[in-house]
Amino acid sequence: MDSQPYRQWQCMTCGEIYDEAVGVPWEGIAAGTRFEDLPADWICPSCGTRKDDFVLYEP
Amino acid sequence: MSTSAIIPVELIAPAFNPASFADRTQIHALFTRLRRDYPLSQAEVPGYDPHWIVTKFDDVREITRQDELFHGGDRSKTLISQAGEALVMEYTGGQHNIFRSLVQLDPPEHRAYRDVLASVFMPNSIAKLADGVKTTAADFVERLAAHGGHCDFATDIAFRYPLKVVLDLIGVPPEDHEKMLTLTQWLFTWADPDLKRPGADPGNPIEITETWNIVYNTFKDYYAPIIANRRAQPTGDIASLIANGKVFGAEMEERAMISYLIIASTAGHDTTSATTATGMWMLAEQPELLARLKAEPELIPAFVEETIRWATPVQHFVRSAVQDYELRGRQIKAGDLLYISYLSANRDEDAIADPFSFRLDRSPNRHLGFGYGGHICLGQHLARLEMRMFWEALLPRLEAVTPAGPFQMAQSEFVSGPKSVPINFRMH
Repeated sequence: MDSQPYRQWQCMTCGEIYDEAVGVPWEGIAAGTRFEDLPADWICPSCGTRKDDFVLYEP
Repeated sequence: MSTSAIIPVELIAPAFNPASFADRTQIHALFTRLRRDYPLSQAEVPGYDPHWIVTKFDDVREITRQDELFHGGDRSKTLISQAGEALVMEYTGGQHNIFRSLVQLDPPEHRAYRDVLASVFMPNSIAKLADGVKTTAADFVERLAAHGGHCDFATDIAFRYPLKVVLDLIGVPPEDHEKMLTLTQWLFTWADPDLKRPGADPGNPIEITETWNIVYNTFKDYYAPIIANRRAQPTGDIASLIANGKVFGAEMEERAMISYLIIASTAGHDTTSATTATGMWMLAEQPELLARLKAEPELIPAFVEETIRWATPVQHFVRSAVQDYELRGRQIKAGDLLYISYLSANRDEDAIADPFSFRLDRSPNRHLGFGYGGHICLGQHLARLEMRMFWEALLPRLEAVTPAGPFQMAQSEFVSGPKSVPINFRMH
């Protein structure tokens, strides 16, 4: 079992937060899905920005 | 292919007429028909270059998330006649847009310009503005109360509340706010008989260019001394950030800098005004909605989000294809124009359940009211904050609201919203 704390990632275009603890259930991304485990072609659910335009978010 | 590639002129012509957009029943019926029979087909309206009319939610997202393939600045970013575009090129020395704001910029320039203000408009930065916005919201709720039970909510409150929030952030002194509102209305509602520039002739195919050129030059004259002032003495306001902003290590090009200030001073408030007025429109027409929001104030963010979808103040933009592209079985050729209908996408039956019902249970409410892709509205989080603060301040005190006359939408094919929302209301 992965013991690393869940992290959050922010879209640099629109500010959307990808929270690993929550996932994106309505798009089939289960809670607990690590950012690095998202598909390479995954895009921001809010604005469509590519995955590589997300940065680690530490409020 | 099951649908025709060309939309009959008599069917599509109303979409090229600003007056049509004041009749929401008519314009939504048109786009509903297009989504069914001509989801991605071409309009060949006399006096205009051909446009692909993009009506489907998924198509709008596919196009607008590929800014490298579908440019916003190579041709006019909004619908314009051939004569109007020719005059734009004459006025600008060959450019296709009077304005060169974020919406008309393409990669890589667009990102560089957007980054000048991007951090200011990220959610964590906007959250720090909450106390100030809350104070302004409370002030406008008091202004509403002072009307004593009757007002035109659009003109008395909705036009002015986001105006004050945004212009204060830019650094425009209060005595100039009314002037900014007037210029905004000339710009976005250039064809509306009540809001257009005095003397403007909407029947003239070059009127939009004439008006927009006047608006540009009036703003330029207004902001030139402010830019000089903020360069000499930066204050931290948005005007200072733009005046001193660097793009690829250099100063901004003049038309782009002026346009940056113009888009902040116009779209920065007009869209939120339209959406706020739409919210009151819905409350006045649906007493059960007010009752539910009063009983469940935690639904206010959902109410705000649904008003954005419902209003869709930015109704369209135009893109041009950089290269050949296949979409929905159509062959789009390099150079082709695409009319992107956000108004249609936000009522697309294939993407949004029960799209013609105003519902608070959409979760998530993934509308395209702020656009999509790299050009998604920079001010979206501020707009949400403004509206949430306003309704949170008002709804506990608003006991009843009913229409006091016909509600009216502005006549505009581009940015539009209610221009008159007369209400009777009771507050404590």
